[in-house]
Amino acid sequence: MLKLLAFLTLSLPFLTHSFSPDHPTDRRVLVLLDDLAIKSSHSLFFKTLQSRGFELDFKLADDPKIGLQRYGQYTYDALILFSPTVDRFGGSIDLAAILDFVDTGHDLIIAADTNASDLIRQISVECGVDFDEDPSAMVIDHMSYAVSDTEGDHTLIASDDFIKSDVILGSKKIEAPVLFKGIGHTINSENSLVLKVLSASPSAYSANPKSKLSSPPLLIGSAISLVSVVQARNNARVLISGSLSMFSDRFFRSEVQKAGSADKHEKSANEQFLTELSKWVFHERGHLKAVNVRHHKIDEADEPAIYRINDDVEYSVEIYEWHGKSWEPYVADDVQVQFYMMSPYVLKTLSTDKKGHYFTAFKVPDVYGVFQFKVEYDRLGYTSVSLSKQIPVRPFRHNEYDRFIPAAYPYYGAAFTMMTGFFIFTVVHLYNK
Amino acid sequence: MVKPSSSSSSTSQDALALINSLRSAYSATPTTLKIIDLYVGFAVSTAIIQVVYMALVGSFPFNSFLSGILSCIGTAVLAVCLRIQVNKENKEFKDLAPERAFADFVLCNLVLHLVIMNFLG
Amino acid sequence: MAISEHVNGGTNTRKSMPSSSALKPDLLNKLSFKTLKLKTKQQELLIRVSILCLVYVLAFITRLFSVLRYESMIHEFDPYFNYRTTLFLTEKGFYDFWNWFDSESWYPLGRIIGGTLYPGLMVTAALIYWALRFLRFAVHIREVCVLTAPFFASNTTIVAYLFGKEIWDTGAGLVAAALIAICPGYISRSVAGSYDNEGVAIFALLLTFYLFVKAVNTGSLAWALASAFGYFYMVSAWGGYVFIINLVPLYVLVLLITGRYSMRLYVAYNCMYVVGMLLAMQIRFVGFQHVQSGEHMAAMGVFFLMQVFYFLDWVKHLLSDTKMFQAFLRITVTCAVGVGAVALGVGTASGYISPWTGRFYSLLDPTYAKDHIPIIASVSEHQPTAWSSFMFDFHILLFLFPAGLYFCFKRLSDATIFIVMYGLTSMYFAGVMVRLILVATPAVCLISAIAVSATIKNLTQLVRAKNKVPQTGSTKGASSAKGSSKGSIDQSQPFQRNGAAALLFGAFYLLSKYATHCTWVTSEAYSSPSIVLAARGAHGNRVIFDDYREAYFWLRQNTPPDAKVMSWWDYGYQITAMGNRTVIVDNNTWNNTHIATVGRAMSSYEDEAYEIMRSLDVDYVLVVFGGVTGYSSDDINKFLWMVRIGGGVFPVIKEPDYLVNGEYRVDKGAAPKMLNCLMYKLSYYRFGELTTEYGKPPGYDRARGVEIGNKDIKLEYLEEAFTTSNWIVRIYKVKPPNNRW
Repeated sequence: MLKLLAFLTLSLPFLTHSFSPDHPTDRRVLVLLDDLAIKSSHSLFFKTLQSRGFELDFKLADDPKIGLQRYGQYTYDALILFSPTVDRFGGSIDLAAILDFVDTGHDLIIAADTNASDLIRQISVECGVDFDEDPSAMVIDHMSYAVSDTEGDHTLIASDDFIKSDVILGSKKIEAPVLFKGIGHTINSENSLVLKVLSASPSAYSANPKSKLSSPPLLIGSAISLVSVVQARNNARVLISGSLSMFSDRFFRSEVQKAGSADKHEKSANEQFLTELSKWVFHERGHLKAVNVRHHKIDEADEPAIYRINDDVEYSVEIYEWHGKSWEPYVADDVQVQFYMMSPYVLKTLSTDKKGHYFTAFKVPDVYGVFQFKVEYDRLGYTSVSLSKQIPVRPFRHNEYDRFIPAAYPYYGAAFTMMTGFFIFTVVHLYNK
Repeated sequence: MVKPSSSSSSTSQDALALINSLRSAYSATPTTLKIIDLYVGFAVSTAIIQVVYMALVGSFPFNSFLSGILSCIGTAVLAVCLRIQVNKENKEFKDLAPERAFADFVLCNLVLHLVIMNFLG
Repeated sequence: MAISEHVNGGTNTRKSMPSSSALKPDLLNKLSFKTLKLKTKQQELLIRVSILCLVYVLAFITRLFSVLRYESMIHEFDPYFNYRTTLFLTEKGFYDFWNWFDSESWYPLGRIIGGTLYPGLMVTAALIYWALRFLRFAVHIREVCVLTAPFFASNTTIVAYLFGKEIWDTGAGLVAAALIAICPGYISRSVAGSYDNEGVAIFALLLTFYLFVKAVNTGSLAWALASAFGYFYMVSAWGGYVFIINLVPLYVLVLLITGRYSMRLYVAYNCMYVVGMLLAMQIRFVGFQHVQSGEHMAAMGVFFLMQVFYFLDWVKHLLSDTKMFQAFLRITVTCAVGVGAVALGVGTASGYISPWTGRFYSLLDPTYAKDHIPIIASVSEHQPTAWSSFMFDFHILLFLFPAGLYFCFKRLSDATIFIVMYGLTSMYFAGVMVRLILVATPAVCLISAIAVSATIKNLTQLVRAKNKVPQTGSTKGASSAKGSSKGSIDQSQPFQRNGAAALLFGAFYLLSKYATHCTWVTSEAYSSPSIVLAARGAHGNRVIFDDYREAYFWLRQNTPPDAKVMSWWDYGYQITAMGNRTVIVDNNTWNNTHIATVGRAMSSYEDEAYEIMRSLDVDYVLVVFGGVTGYSSDDINKFLWMVRIGGGVFPVIKEPDYLVNGEYRVDKGAAPKMLNCLMYKLSYYRFGELTTEYGKPPGYDRARGVEIGNKDIKLEYLEEAFTTSNWIVRIYKVKPPNNRW
């Protein structure tokens, strides 16, 4: 019995998986705090994470022994930065290390707050998110603030302007507004990788609550994003929030009433919102993989190296979605394949058998060249599926045309008549006289 | 152009006289040459038939059309060359043996027909 | 030089034999023909055969300079494509070659190579290769390709001999063979390693002309058929066959007009035209052009004209009354002319008969290409010829040519009229475009040979005045053709003999100078492989720059097999042949828009260029840079052509943006768009830190002779992948888009 226990305990580290493309669930998460009190003041949030099986490793942000890698291997699968005021990280973590961490496919949650340090701002800029430059600015909303007895300067706002995506926020509708107190940021509208998950209402603006406004504020209205996510091209996900206190137990438990509305909610939506969002960030939803791309001529089974114009081609691919524990078939009716050479010559929607297998058949166009089978599937909240397989298309060989063309029979006849005429003529000419 | 002083009747008379003299002169040619002329006429008429057909139907298998036409024209041209070489009145060819001329003719025709077969499609 | 002296010396001994017979009669006679008991005719035959053999060998070995100096490799750009196709042909067989669709060039459009090349050269080399293999010689196809052109140059000398014999006499034939064996105009495109269409095409051209003239002279159908096959070989070998299909009808027309026509002409032209046209249409690349293109309509017009002409002749022969015939004649002629004009008009107007293509139209109107087709105008071989080029390529033949024309006019026959027309038309075209000196070379050699042979005949007749020995063919004995071409044997002048002998020696001197010049030109100017550069080091030693091949092999070994390389079109063939990677544009230049896209990418700022490169799936960019070595054919010197060609299709690229006061500069005073365009950045990246010449500041461009203007170059979307040891070829990798935005 003891031996069995010992064996199990010893093998436990080996049983837990780390992040891998085949098993894209993060396990080990490094949480950097600038104050260990956060561990207890935000315990509800951490408990939701731990109850889903994540191993949280709490460290102080300037702890000199922290590091993301050891001997070239990443020892953590995700990073949570709840240290808005840190100027320098300790150990081997710095801006480049964090960006490398994201660029190698790992997830990141950043929470900034008032007096966010330059380092946190820089990390966010590198992820495509610009915080307000004024270090003491906060988001103020005189129309959608949360009614409360203590906070009177309307920096505690209740926002319910969520992104419309079931993938990111879960299927259960969020009834109550979310409490937010912190700084706002904007995103570059040309950047297609960043999404505003929680936006401020049109009446919000970002300014220093303690001083009078000297000039009109630069960040106003719905352009202010309170919580954003970034889905990088390598499918790493980053969550950037302007408020650390929205993760706190106090906000989780408090009741909320939006100014101007009569509804008084018992509990704010912070817990539901952030739990669902963390599920998305840690790849428990919306993570697709496309495997087994196959193409072949209609009546053959193996992939040819080159097609011919006017061939009939079948294309199939399998798409699965990760549901936290296993891959489930992904069902959608808008996956399209293009047969592309500088512009799509053929664009077809793939039909599915609801078990993750997508297929279609089409005819190769009458143009020769080097084509690509391109699947570009980019839906809100899902990882982008970008497949491309190059295949040349050749024209007819000289013996692949029709053998006898009916319209040309007179010409065939003429040629043969000439030949027989020649033969008869030689006979006549030779034997004449 | 036709002389302005002659009336239309004299033109037709002229034409008739022309045709008559042509016919009489032509009948004096030896039979060998007449056979060759017949052969040339056969080739040219086949060519004309094909052109008419092409004008009606369109020139879709253009290579077949070209090979048919060129087979006819080639045959005609080669036959005319043979006629020139065999004709005893041509002083330039008087020391060319008719067998040699015929052998050349056959060789050229062989090549012609082989290429036509390749080109016919 | 040694060889030609040997031949000269050989002739000298032969020539001086009669005059020195008094000195050493017995010894020489014993050692010479008398011991072999040969008759004069056989002596002559022996001399002729040995001279031809020597000339054959001479033509081959004078083209071997670059093989001896460097190695046996293919030169230039176009031959690499020909080599690659020949390799494919030998590996995969004829049918796969005929149907070959190449997906590695002109990405992503691909190229139907089987249908867009002239297969004659490749098939010839492959046949030689298979023949040698059959005889169990284990040669590599590259060696066969390298030596194909010299081999065919040797064959051309034989054909030149036969042609000269046909036009004038055997003496002229031998001189023609010798002249064409070393003439620089021909050597320039048929050096060992220059595996290009012209090497085989000139042989085919001369062969076709010879067979046709033979057919016209004999009136035999067999010769006409042979000339049709010669024409077919020419069509399969080179696009310059258009010259034949226009010259021969022009010649027939001239004969018809001057009344020199005969039945033989009819037989020769008709058989050649019909059978030749039919054979020519078997080549996929030529297709139906013989009946659809404006360039070939002259032949068809003359064909029909001939039928009408000879038909009328026959009718005239039949009819005895001339008045009736006149009427008939009038009617027929008006009908024929009317029908012909209507057909031509309808065909051209409806577009069915395509007008003259730009390449050939620019021969008739030399200014056309510069205004309308910058790609044609940009090729250096297409520029008009300067007198120095003529002198360089022809030397004494340049003034022997008019003398030969005079002789031809003195003895007009069907053959001499032909050679005169060939000479005059080809010289006109040689004046329009430098590369057409090649087409004029055989005509010039033949006509000069006539001049040489005729005057030497007269001079030696004067020298050996009393002896009635038939003239043997002279090889290198020639004359100063400036005037003394009167062969009159005036017995009364006592010094005539000495004068003639002096002139003969003068002629020897001139011809030996010609041989020296030709050999020097071959050695210095035309034997450079252009893919390997040589220079003199500081101590006089030879320094070899093999950067091109270094870069191509780096590409071959260090990039993924499906990587796509963007470069200017000059290097496309070499990259596909040696680097074995897909290219965007290459030397075939068939798609102007694609080339203009590349030109636009090279001339734009880095971010715009990045968009274009992403749309073409480019992985690597290759540029050629001569600033470190002083190599002047690099991309910066070609850059204005990229701008012009790109601007021809995309008006956003404007040439004045890159110039300062109409001047093209790369130093501090250069235009800002020039200093920041992609080509500038890629050429001069990190160059600002390099010191290239003692005493000059870092960043001194040795090819332009200035210090560059923008030394601190930062690349945002590309990164440097490889630079060769002398910085001549630089390869950059296109970075994938940023992960987070």
